[in-house]
Amino acid sequence: MDERVEVTLNINGEEYQLEIGKRWTLLYVLRDVLNMTGTKYGCGTGDCGVCKVLIDGEPVNSCTYLATRAQGKEIITIEGLSKDGRLTPVQQAFVETGAIQCGFCTPGMVITTTALLRRNPNPTREEIIAGLDNNLCRCTGYVKIIEAIELAARRMRGEA
Amino acid sequence: MSELKSLGKPTRRVDALEKVLGTGRYTHDLKIPGMLVAKVLRSPVPHAEIVKLDVTPALKVPGVVAAITSEDFVDHGNWGFPVKDDYMLAYKKVRYVGDPIAAVAAETEEAAEAGLQAIVLELKELPAVFDVHEALKPDAPILHEELAKAQAEETTSGELEDAEFIEVHGKGNLSETLIVRQGDPLSKLSECDVVLDAAYSVAHQEHAYLETEAALAVPTADGGVTVFVGDQNPFITLSNLVMTLGMPGKVRVVQSPHTGGAFGGKSDMVYETAAQAAMLAIKSGRPVKLVTSREESMIASYKRDAMEMRYRLGATKDGRLRAAKIECWADSGAYASMTPFTSWRATIHAMGPYHYEDCHVDMMCVYTNNGYSGAFRGFGNTEVTAASEQAIDELAEMCGMDPMDFRLKNCVELGDTLPFGQKLEYSVGLKQCLERVRKISDWDRKRAEYSRQPAHQEIRRGIGVASFFHGLSLGAEGLDFAEHTIRLGEGNKFEILTGLSDFGQGSRTVFSLIASEVLGFPVERFQWLPCDTDVVQECGPTVASRSTILGGNATRLAAMRLLTQLYDAAAMMMGCMVPEVRQEGEVFYGPAGQRVTLDELIAYARANHIPLSAKARWEMPRIHWSFAKGRGVPYVAYHFGAQVAEVEVDRRTGVTKVLNIYAVHDVGKVVFPQGIRGQIIGGISQGLGYALMERVEFEKGYIQNPNFDTYLIPTAADMPVVTVEFVESELPFGPFGAKNVAEPSMVPTAPAILNAIYHATGRRIRHLPANLERVLLGYDLKDTVTTTVCQVGVCERAKCEL
Ligand code: FES
Ligand code: FES
Repeated sequence: MDERVEVTLNINGEEYQLEIGKRWTLLYVLRDVLNMTGTKYGCGTGDCGVCKVLIDGEPVNSCTYLATRAQGKEIITIEGLSKDGRLTPVQQAFVETGAIQCGFCTPGMVITTTALLRRNPNPTREEIIAGLDNNLCRCTGYVKIIEAIELAARRMRGEA
Repeated sequence: MSELKSLGKPTRRVDALEKVLGTGRYTHDLKIPGMLVAKVLRSPVPHAEIVKLDVTPALKVPGVVAAITSEDFVDHGNWGFPVKDDYMLAYKKVRYVGDPIAAVAAETEEAAEAGLQAIVLELKELPAVFDVHEALKPDAPILHEELAKAQAEETTSGELEDAEFIEVHGKGNLSETLIVRQGDPLSKLSECDVVLDAAYSVAHQEHAYLETEAALAVPTADGGVTVFVGDQNPFITLSNLVMTLGMPGKVRVVQSPHTGGAFGGKSDMVYETAAQAAMLAIKSGRPVKLVTSREESMIASYKRDAMEMRYRLGATKDGRLRAAKIECWADSGAYASMTPFTSWRATIHAMGPYHYEDCHVDMMCVYTNNGYSGAFRGFGNTEVTAASEQAIDELAEMCGMDPMDFRLKNCVELGDTLPFGQKLEYSVGLKQCLERVRKISDWDRKRAEYSRQPAHQEIRRGIGVASFFHGLSLGAEGLDFAEHTIRLGEGNKFEILTGLSDFGQGSRTVFSLIASEVLGFPVERFQWLPCDTDVVQECGPTVASRSTILGGNATRLAAMRLLTQLYDAAAMMMGCMVPEVRQEGEVFYGPAGQRVTLDELIAYARANHIPLSAKARWEMPRIHWSFAKGRGVPYVAYHFGAQVAEVEVDRRTGVTKVLNIYAVHDVGKVVFPQGIRGQIIGGISQGLGYALMERVEFEKGYIQNPNFDTYLIPTAADMPVVTVEFVESELPFGPFGAKNVAEPSMVPTAPAILNAIYHATGRRIRHLPANLERVLLGYDLKDTVTTTVCQVGVCERAKCEL
């Protein structure tokens, strides 16, 4: 049995005091302990990006990130992006452009995009593509996802 | 046709909101109190006899609540369609690495893991076979002895007796042979001016849906079980559960609200997962959830079959196709699964959408110990088109013709007859697709320009084309119907009840749009519900890109009936005759200026016990294919299309960059523009992966690349610029003229890319995928390890420079 430890995690602006296994990943804690299932499991090896969350503003694969390491950091999940069901410009753009098919990659894509546009509000297409290098999507062929990111960027810059 | 209101207009997907918010539930996300975690013990070897299997020690592990083997199921859980050769958990034998043997349910994952460790399993390894040609030799190890015996007795008297099959050396591992027959292509080939004889192969492809297989089984008060899954058909899951659990009337299958992709992959493996979870739930009396890990999914789930093909094509010197003699060997792996059906579709499409005087196709489905194969987008057509469209290019070159001209010269048109006797009576837009794609890709200029690249140039461009056809829906495979209900629900919305699943392809949106079109109400007036076998009617499987046609027509008819009910109610409410009722959107008018809104009308109907609920069934026209004669009408009609790929190849590194794909598809009618574009581009990305990088690497039955770090699928950086256009040759019985699109979108991509690589480099890569080594060296380093000589005898697989 995994050794248990007490941790305090700051998730979507709320503090959670938890007793967890020392080797539990942040993904496991989010999904299986806290029932925050918007963050998905796709590979467990850091290769698909469906488990991405923001840790201190940076997109991180939560499947390869130990939950204990996240103490004292600000964790934002897909559930924490929109306020009162109101979509962020990134989410809005994903819906409008049809960047969502099965939707399993969507939370991770939205998290990655959110961080990308914060860092670089005016990305070129190449920069967007580079930013998606750790997010797989098997349905869309990425084209509409890239279009969604471009649209969100334009809107956030007040151009559309 | 009068002006359409909803169809073909920009619309958003009806289920996108909860997906983008992260609140939409997938099977992975379901959790209920008291739920146990299940894990499966899987075969560590490719072929073995189960000498001893005892799960009782697992039950002694703290936290383990139930453990099962094949003994727990009716008839050992024997199932499978069309060949009943599989088991929910292995019985007597295991036939591939990953074959499920036993399963446990426990309080925690750790306990379940410990439970698996405690199971006593003794296997006696058997000789295994990994090559389709080896598997057909008389001394090959047999995978299914009993079936082989039964088959040997049957073939002496069966319907297939007089069909002339090509000779196979042993029948033991041959699960099925399928044919197309017209004339005598071998004699005709000897009369042809130009003859191509070449061997091609395609590799196993992994679906790589991002949500792995999962099931949640919940015991019910009556001693039955409800199972939540994401599958291709809840009714097939249901019938398999009823059969193997042995509890008719007590099983219910509910699809989770969302499913993280399927692409044909969520059939057999999900049925097994569901049965294992269900049996554990029954045994433990507790809810049980089974989720496969990515490695487990990649190892245990079925793949697109690998296939070896020999093409002999003949033409006149001025480029008129005359004869085709095609032989294919499909690697079915350990079980038949859908391979007999995918292979049937493959035989029908193997010669491509062209005229031939004479044509034979022979397809052998062969058992081996390489995992197992089943349905995957394109369903056999993707495999054969990867070969046939290269063969057509090679023949065009031998005739000294431009590949586009060659295809235009030979392609079928309305009124033509396909090489198995079917006259094409409607909706044939192939020529228009080819002409259009030629134009938008700037084919003639680029083809000429790239042909002039100096020999020493290392970074080279090329442009290639592939055209194809793809039969609608299930075809003569079986009865093909759907039944939908549209009924008044909460919030005065109309619920569309369907047994067809939406894994992201957009069928919910398509049905809402069609209902909206017929009834004249906005799309928001309609509500989708997940399939639930207690609620919806059987609609057949969500496969073969059949939802739009089948479900679309059922929706259209149900909506028309509902409209009749609404007009009846409106007339009654306004005190006039039905023909006097006029409708504008959600408002109904009477002859004397009466006006009622839809909401008022609904309130009136509710108060007066007038039901607002209509159901309708729609069936495809019935057709017949003779499996014995290899002739008939396999599909009522076809999707046609052509794609052009433009590539840049670095000859020093073997890196191929696909710059552009131009795709023109004859889809009958565009119903949901955003959705159809998504389907096409998504299909192209899977076709690009198939062409350049995707291959499940079996090494003596063991998969070498069972996760996304080694099994590579296209990323955003791999995608070309994609230009999509449509030809709308309306299908008379398609809903508003629409045809199929999901599967066909990927079929021509790989051969178009391979033809472009050849154009760029002069190197013909007949074995997929065209990875770095093959592009760079002309062969795959891995193949040189086992210098198998291609049994077809026309090339040496290690160095296919034919
Ligand atoms: S699940 Fe974390 S990267 Fe795939
Ligand atoms: S939408 Fe299905 S994986 Fe991206």
